[in-house]
Order: sequence, then C-alpha cells, then structure tokens
Amino acid sequence: MSTAGFDELIHAPTRLEIVSLLAAAQWAEFKYIRDELGLSDSALSKQLSTLESAGYVEIRKSFVGKRPRTSASLSRAGRRAFEQHVAALQQIIARSQQDGDSRPVAEADSGIVGR
Amino acid sequence: MGGTQQPQPAGTGDSAVEAAAELAEIERTQEHVIRAALVPGWYWWVMAAAIVAIGAARDSHDQVVLAITIPLAILVIAVLIIATIPGVRRRVRVHGAVKPATQAAVAIPGLILLVDGVTIAASASLAHYRVPHPLTIGYGAGAAALVIAGPLLNRYFGRLMLRNARQHMIEAPGLRGPWRGLLYSDPGDRSPDRAGSTHYGGGR
Repeated sequence: MSTAGFDELIHAPTRLEIVSLLAAAQWAEFKYIRDELGLSDSALSKQLSTLESAGYVEIRKSFVGKRPRTSASLSRAGRRAFEQHVAALQQIIARSQQDGDSRPVAEADSGIVGR
Repeated sequence: MGGTQQPQPAGTGDSAVEAAAELAEIERTQEHVIRAALVPGWYWWVMAAAIVAIGAARDSHDQVVLAITIPLAILVIAVLIIATIPGVRRRVRVHGAVKPATQAAVAIPGLILLVDGVTIAASASLAHYRVPHPLTIGYGAGAAALVIAGPLLNRYFGRLMLRNARQHMIEAPGLRGPWRGLLYSDPGDRSPDRAGSTHYGGGR
C-alpha cells in the first residue's frame, strides 16, 4: 500500500467517482463513464480536463469507422495519488478506532451508516 | 499535480464516517466497473438456444435442416464469442491487477468440459435406451447446464475481481473491527442499482 496522502483534487465527489471507476479499469469509454456516473457530456469533459491537467488522467481519442471514440485511463501518477488517497482515508478510520471512538459504530447502528 | 496533503487530523467520528462513506463509494463504483466487464446474462441463453438447435437438427436426420441449422447455430456461437465479449470490453476494460487470470484458466475449460460432458452423457444414455429425440434432449441437458453454470461462473469471477480490487487498492492492514464489516460486505448482498446504496444513507 502506498504512503497516505489525502488528495483534495480526488476528494471532490464527482472526481472521486471518476477516479475510482478508472482505478478499476485499464481504460473506459467516455460514454460509459458518463452513463455510469449519470453526468452530462460537458460536466464529464470538465472534470476529465481538470484531472488531465493534474496529470492524473490520460485521454485517448480514436476512430471506429468514421465515428470518434474517446476513452480515458488513469495515469501512473493518478493511480498513485488514488492509492495514497485511499490509504489516507483508511488512516482516518484507523485513528478513529485507535482513539477508542465508538461514535461511528453508534451512528452506524442509528442508520447514518447502515447496511 | 493534484492537491496531496497529509491525512486530516482524525479521531472525530464525523471524519471517520465521511472517510468510510468515501471508501464505500469507491468500492461501489469499482463493483460497477467489474459488473460491466462481465458477460451479459442473455449470452448464456442465446448460446444454449444454439446448442439445442444443433441437437434438434441432428435428431431430424433431414439433410436440408442439417445444412441450414448447424452452420447457422455455429455462426451464432462464433458471433457471440468473437463479437459479444470484445463488445463488452470495448466500453470498459478491467485493470490487469483485478482480473482473475489463474482462476479463469481453470474455470472456463471446466465449464466447457461440464457442458460437453453432460451433453454427451445424456445423449448417449438416451440413445442407448431408445428414448425418442435423444440428441434434442441430450443437447438440452447440456444447454441447461450452461445456463445454470454460466451465470454462476460470472458471479464467481465478479467476486474474485472485487476481491482483487480490494486487495490491490483498498486493503489496509490498519482497518479492523466493525468498519471492516460495514465497508466490505459480500457483493452478493447488494443491489446493482447505484441509487440503492446499502452502505450509507443519502443520495449521490
């Protein structure tokens, strides 16, 4: 597991979903990401551009026949940042447990975090 | 390059709850990627129909029926294998670390052997006892084995891939206790519907 590093860029809900999706994939089609996350074309383009600018995502454009096809993948830096972000989240939980804080469990029982 | 920071000071229940919710969201998104990469459910039924068609055609002993049905059924099976599976993968391709390569190398030939074994054994037994339409019934038995075992295999691969994704990206040595149960429940317990969160309340 990577060194923990909370990443504000990845932490944003929509970008977290995009990066999580891409972390499980070698690459994913633009349409697939859009439909899976329920985003508009423009919203997804904007988020992908932000991630691309940060060096986290690589965009690939190709043609199938005459139809353009755009796909995205997580770059090595993006994958590392994601793993570090996940490790940071886990650290937060582990610290909470080490501190003997039973509040999350109590909240889980009360329905805030439930199954 | 991104806004990497040190982990936020923790110890409050709120930050731990948010972190757990974020991890749950990550896992749920990855589960959807894995589901999308699996063979669709109808695949097994179309394959089974083609198998039964071959059996029925052979039972007919009619050269015209054989000449039309068998090449057509083989074409359907070939199209399914060649076009449908890459078609699924064109939308999204699962990361190499998540793929259950070793298990697939055993399970897929195992499924083929099971279907062939059931088909041959049933057809031969029925023919031996002079049951009418032995090949139709025998191939039907093989097809039934396929539609039962195929989705089970799919589910097995789905679980393996989810486990691999967890081990590769989400497994943390420090994560113990009740959080583990909250975050990492059996994927079979959850609805594939994104809106139907089983981990924490509220929408997306």
